[in-house]
Amino acid sequence: MPNPMAERTRLATAGAHAAVVGNLGKQPRGDVWRGNLFLALLLLAVVLALIGLIALIVQSALKGAPAFSMDLFTEGPSIVNPETAGFRPAIIGSLYLIAGVVLLIVPLGVGAAVYLEEYADGDRWWNRLIELNIQNLAAVPSIIYGILGLAFFVRGPLSLGFVVAAGSLTLALLVLPTVILAAREAIRAVPPSIRDGSLALGATQWQTIRRQVLPASIPGIVTGVILAVSRALGEAAPLLLVGAATFVTADQPNPFEGGYSAMPVQIYNYALQAQDEFKALAAAGVVVMLVVLLALNSFAIWLRNRYEQQW
Amino acid sequence: MLDKVADRAGKAAGGASGRAKAPGIDVSGVREAGQADRRGSMSKSDRGTIFELRDLTVKYGGTPAVKDVSMEIAAGEITALIGPSGCGKSTLIRCFNRMNDLIPSARVEGSCLYHGQDLYGPEVDPVEVRKRIGMVFQKPNPFPKSIKDNIAFGPKVLGLDDIEGRVERALHGAALWDEVKDRLDENAYSMSGGQQQRLCIARCIAVDPEVILMDEPCSALDPISTGKIEDLMMELKENYSIVIVTHNMQQAARVSDRTAFLIVELDAEERDRWGQLIEYDVTDKIFTNPADSRTEDYVTGKVG
Repeated sequence: MPNPMAERTRLATAGAHAAVVGNLGKQPRGDVWRGNLFLALLLLAVVLALIGLIALIVQSALKGAPAFSMDLFTEGPSIVNPETAGFRPAIIGSLYLIAGVVLLIVPLGVGAAVYLEEYADGDRWWNRLIELNIQNLAAVPSIIYGILGLAFFVRGPLSLGFVVAAGSLTLALLVLPTVILAAREAIRAVPPSIRDGSLALGATQWQTIRRQVLPASIPGIVTGVILAVSRALGEAAPLLLVGAATFVTADQPNPFEGGYSAMPVQIYNYALQAQDEFKALAAAGVVVMLVVLLALNSFAIWLRNRYEQQW
Repeated sequence: MLDKVADRAGKAAGGASGRAKAPGIDVSGVREAGQADRRGSMSKSDRGTIFELRDLTVKYGGTPAVKDVSMEIAAGEITALIGPSGCGKSTLIRCFNRMNDLIPSARVEGSCLYHGQDLYGPEVDPVEVRKRIGMVFQKPNPFPKSIKDNIAFGPKVLGLDDIEGRVERALHGAALWDEVKDRLDENAYSMSGGQQQRLCIARCIAVDPEVILMDEPCSALDPISTGKIEDLMMELKENYSIVIVTHNMQQAARVSDRTAFLIVELDAEERDRWGQLIEYDVTDKIFTNPADSRTEDYVTGKVG
């Protein structure tokens, strides 16, 4: 009994040895060369992307330098006097818009994501249709949402007029698919064993979602919301259609009454003026927006790292 | 070959020899205390039947995973389900607290009576079932919360009172209190795997269930942690009825009062396979003098 076994073991060891020796030799020259070329291309892609971003920031900062002052934040718009022109109503308008967007997308986005992940039966054709449409909607150009907002919120069924609420609704529709997709990812990342553990204790499905699944997916959901808000903050095209004006002097717009302005629209308007001082003002506005966006994104990353759960 | 069998038998019997039935495994010498407990609880089975399965069949998308199981599970005992992979023992144990409901394609036929009431009756709410019949899973699955909140979760959602007291009693009950009493606010994931599994047991007993189902509770644990869980099970059966699925025959032999043996059955064309209950009896009998030759082959290590 032991002898044939030992012989077999010896043969197996010898075979494994031969295979390892055969595979550990030098790679062919061509493979090394191709590998290095591929690595170089990857690095090039990273460098180009970084250069683009840095060039944008540096150029805006240099061009906007003469216009940097507190006036940016305290003065209203003007097309005659660049010395006293600023972004005050536009900044306030953008904050109002974003507040409205957040109020709309958090409950709607999380609600839709919870339904699709926890309740919907993925085998039913209507649920698959909903999923497919949400993914497609995330790729629809923003100007189309502007037209939709004009037809449904400004005029048509809601007839709100050119007010902040209409702008918020339009932007919320624009970024809602992004939020739903991000929230679904976050909910799906919670292991099924957590749901099983909760249900096995006699918790209802809603208690399980409310007390286990949602708290565990908050970092992912918040990250998605912040990315969506960043996008909404920078959109000019749909806002032009739903009435963001450039000459609003009132400080606090009523969301359902009166004109409003927004940062990207105001920047766009200043950039169109002939005088160089206004162009500098537009560049300064770009820097302000970039700073806000980078701050939001940093916050999202910090939040994700801070609360991320290792399963 | 014979060496191997004898070796396994030796392990199962904890090295003790006794009235060994030739290649069979003798469990009579296993852990004297356990023996006494088992004898004691045999009389306790007068407490009655807790579950009664009648021709229970579970299908996933039309394909049966386990077929025509009929058995009675006694109250106040530890009942083990053993058998090779794919024999449906996990599917079967998930019937007892309707966890199979969570798999959309699963269908349960036949009846599963709990104190005479069909758990799959139309008026039965699975949430109410799970309040009385708790479950411990294969891989420890603590919630991403503090140790205290892990245990408090069940009593809180069930609206029970004296949460603090329940947490402490549950931790004592799971023999975990001394190890964690100074770090109740730490995240449960900072515990070792064995501690996590005992936390899951504590979480389960914090809501005072009548039955604890354990689906291979030790398969992810080292032998020392496994031993602690087994000791715990012997204590828990004073107050709870336990059904355990295990891959580990020695474990079934060590802890259980009764053992059910399931196998994978193939149809004539070898296309469909499903689990079937072969033998269900007192554990001593299953491991020393099984009625069915397939049981004997399995417990002696000839197959599987």
